[in-house]
Amino acid sequence: MPGLLKMPRRGVLPLRTLVVLLQLALVPSQLAGCLLNPCLEVIANKTFRCTGLNISGVPAEVPNTTQNLDLSFSNLKSLGSNYFSPVPELQLLDLTRCHLHTIEDNSFKDLPNLSTLILTANSLQYLGTAAFYGLTSLKKLVLVETNLTSLTDLPIGHLHTLQELNLGHNNIASLKLPKYFSNLTSLRHLSFISNKITYISKGDLDALREVNRLNLTLVLSLNNIKYIEPGSFAKIHLGELVLRSSFEDFNGMSTSLQGLTGLHVNRLIVGEFSDSQRRVDFQSGLLSGLCHVQMQEFVLISFREFEDNTDTLFNCIGNISSIRLVDLQLEEVSEVPVLSQVKQLECKKCKFKEVPAVKLSLFKELRVLRITKSKHLNTFQQKFWGLSNLEVIDLSENRLSFTSCCSPKFHACPNLKHLNLSFNSDISVTGDFTNVKNLLYLDLQHTKLFGPGSYPVFLSLQKLIYLDISYTRTHVKSQCTFCGLNSLKVLKMAGNSFENNKLANNFKNLSHLHTLDISSCKLVQVDQSTFDALSELKELNISNNKLLIFDPVVYKPLQALRALDFSNNQLSVLLDSALEMLPDSLVLLDISQNLFECSCVNLNFLKWIKEKQELLQNKELMICHTPAYMKNVNLSSFYLSSCQLKVSTVTSSVIMLLAAAVFLFLIYKYYFQLYYSLVLLSGCKHSAERGDTYDAFVIHSSKDQEWVMRELVEPLEGGTPPFQLCLYYRDFLPGVPIVTNIIQEGFLSSRNVIAVISTDFLESKWCSFEFDIAQSWQLVEGKAGIIMIVLEEVNKALLRQRLGLSRYLRRNTYLEWKNKEISRHIFWRQLTGVLLEGGKP
Amino acid sequence: MKTSDALVLILVLLYINTSTEWPTHTVCKEDNLEIHYKSCDPQQDFAFSIDHCSDITTHTFNIRGAIVLRHSIKELYVKVDLIINGKTVLTYSETLCEPGHSKLIFCGKKKGEHLYYEGPVTLGFKEIPQGDYTISAKLTNEDHVTVACADFTVKNYLDYY
Repeated sequence: MPGLLKMPRRGVLPLRTLVVLLQLALVPSQLAGCLLNPCLEVIANKTFRCTGLNISGVPAEVPNTTQNLDLSFSNLKSLGSNYFSPVPELQLLDLTRCHLHTIEDNSFKDLPNLSTLILTANSLQYLGTAAFYGLTSLKKLVLVETNLTSLTDLPIGHLHTLQELNLGHNNIASLKLPKYFSNLTSLRHLSFISNKITYISKGDLDALREVNRLNLTLVLSLNNIKYIEPGSFAKIHLGELVLRSSFEDFNGMSTSLQGLTGLHVNRLIVGEFSDSQRRVDFQSGLLSGLCHVQMQEFVLISFREFEDNTDTLFNCIGNISSIRLVDLQLEEVSEVPVLSQVKQLECKKCKFKEVPAVKLSLFKELRVLRITKSKHLNTFQQKFWGLSNLEVIDLSENRLSFTSCCSPKFHACPNLKHLNLSFNSDISVTGDFTNVKNLLYLDLQHTKLFGPGSYPVFLSLQKLIYLDISYTRTHVKSQCTFCGLNSLKVLKMAGNSFENNKLANNFKNLSHLHTLDISSCKLVQVDQSTFDALSELKELNISNNKLLIFDPVVYKPLQALRALDFSNNQLSVLLDSALEMLPDSLVLLDISQNLFECSCVNLNFLKWIKEKQELLQNKELMICHTPAYMKNVNLSSFYLSSCQLKVSTVTSSVIMLLAAAVFLFLIYKYYFQLYYSLVLLSGCKHSAERGDTYDAFVIHSSKDQEWVMRELVEPLEGGTPPFQLCLYYRDFLPGVPIVTNIIQEGFLSSRNVIAVISTDFLESKWCSFEFDIAQSWQLVEGKAGIIMIVLEEVNKALLRQRLGLSRYLRRNTYLEWKNKEISRHIFWRQLTGVLLEGGKP
Repeated sequence: MKTSDALVLILVLLYINTSTEWPTHTVCKEDNLEIHYKSCDPQQDFAFSIDHCSDITTHTFNIRGAIVLRHSIKELYVKVDLIINGKTVLTYSETLCEPGHSKLIFCGKKKGEHLYYEGPVTLGFKEIPQGDYTISAKLTNEDHVTVACADFTVKNYLDYY
């Protein structure tokens, strides 16, 4: 449905009512958006773009601080006085295609700062005589496509500051400049392009005659000039005169150029456009009128057809110091006048098939020669001869293919300093530069070269400062490839290759080198001594290679380095030693597009990145490659504190591990105790059910068995009341582990524990184990204490060694056995009492 | 009635500014050849015609095109894509205007000026292929802003000799 609505030409009127309804239904939001905010604020408070509006007056939201205001494609229709008073600071006002037909007096009165006024494509019908009053700073006035027919009534005479007046694409029929032009002394550019000028008469340009107009460019292109009256341009001095497609035909052009007699101009541009409908073909005598024009530079542009007799081309321009021939279908150089004064000659987009060296050598004064962008130019057989002033030869962007470069091509050209053979097909460089050994500048880039790399071809170029052999398919095999280039300051050789993809001792003699570009050379390795001689190097570009490391030892000699481009290699990190090595002079470092490893192992490097943000270039392309979860994360957004966090986790896990080890060790050491505490605990549950079978469990050494039998078992079990004792040798169940017996039969089934402490008891492991269990048993079950019987002959010193036991004895009362009747009696009474107290069933 | 006319005009004008779709125009409609185009520049439509449709079988043919420039063309670049079944098969680009001495008459025109071109066009590829496909052409200026943009729908079953 919107498609239908957007057809302004068709279908709107018949469907008007429907359309209105639909618009009202669909459009409110857009409408609101458009009406509420028609202006785009390009620069805050300064530049506003309010295009395509249907308004009158300056939009309300444009503040009075605005300097640039674009109201193009709006529907202003007419301007009244003080129209722009809301924006007095205005410097640029664009009123392109505003449907303006009327500009009344004082419309721009409040704009004293306005320097540019654009009124393109408004069919002005009324222009007040004071329309431009108040524009005291106006420099540029564009009146293109404004239906102007005459200059007479144009009210611009008071615009003394005007520098550029563009009157293109109007219907001005006469070049008669009104008197007021003599007031426009600042005028630099006056364009009448695409008007209806047919005749230029004497006196038309009088207004330009009175003042020196050496800065003025006058454009008369795309007119229909039939005749220029001789004398029209006499004694006129211009900066530039442009006459492209200005004339009706050959005759009109030929005779009109005669009318330029007496003109002084710095640059004269004559010619056509390549898509002109009517084109003047070049014929003999076309330029003969130029014999009486004084000029510094002549440009002939876009002539399609050259008759056979082009030999008159240089007839009247042979004494001009600079000639440019652009986009000409010129196949051969015309005859060169004797004693030509041409110092600069350029042929761009010409149709030469061969470098016309013989004919060009006749321009004896030639200093600069350029033949460029000629796609038919492929042969260079002829030799330049005797151009003793020649300094610059530029043969770039052709299709040249030739051998034996370069000395044989330039005989007696001793001052040749600048040779550009770049962007050609292929050139074989022999190594013979004897005729051009004063070369300072040699550019061979993007031309397939044979020679360099295999053997030392540059040996005789001792003075060369600049060498560009980028993308020349040079494969550097010879160690002496650059031998002889002792003055070289700039070496550009990107996009070539080295033997084994390795930089070896290739630059050993280039001790004055300032700039070295070895990017895109497929380099994998750089030898240690490669840069030893390059102590003056300021810029190094080694980007787009396959280097894995930045070895500080290799780059150490580069102490003057200011810019280093190491981007797009395969670096994972810059090591601490490399960071320390970087010279203080370094101000630009590009290490983007490498395969950085963003892990805390490289914490120092990542910290350094954060600190050196000013030094680093293309920071947005410095992204992590590994580990996988960090891929494509920007290096400078790497979270440094995440590493500190990790350190703490590492320490805590180490502590945990230590603790676990200690724990395991303890478990190992006290395996038995732990195991039986466990059994003990599980045993608790049974104890209630089990009931007490025995009154006491006797812990004793097997060596005290006799004593136990005699002094404990007999009196206790045989006496009254009879006590039931648990003895290991009698009551333990066979086939059950001893320890189980100790627990099950001994502790769990007995109400009391009697420990018979003797020297043997102290020595027995089993006894001390049983005693330990008894102690913990006492603790856990809260049962009556352990009844200690200390036999008299116990060695006290030994007892003290058994720490737990002696402490126990110190804190608890115990029975002491003495082999005397009296004490034996007391002993019995005490023991029986304790046993009875411990809980008789 | 007049107010409603004005309203329609205003709303249509607003729609011209906000619209992204332009009507499809017919360039050629013959038995074996149909060419339509549609502007893909949201800012404006333009006029285009080919003098003799059958000439497109040759390398060079005459066209006429007119447009009001929304942007200056000190530099002008054209990029042409040949799209078959939604896939770009061929891309061709050329510099029409470059800074310095302009080769073509319209080079250097400024915003708001009227551009009319009448003359030959030489194809970047050998010949216009047969079949159904789309040719997408885009003109950009020195600021990489779209000056003009069009999608040409071609149904070409002409015989080549």
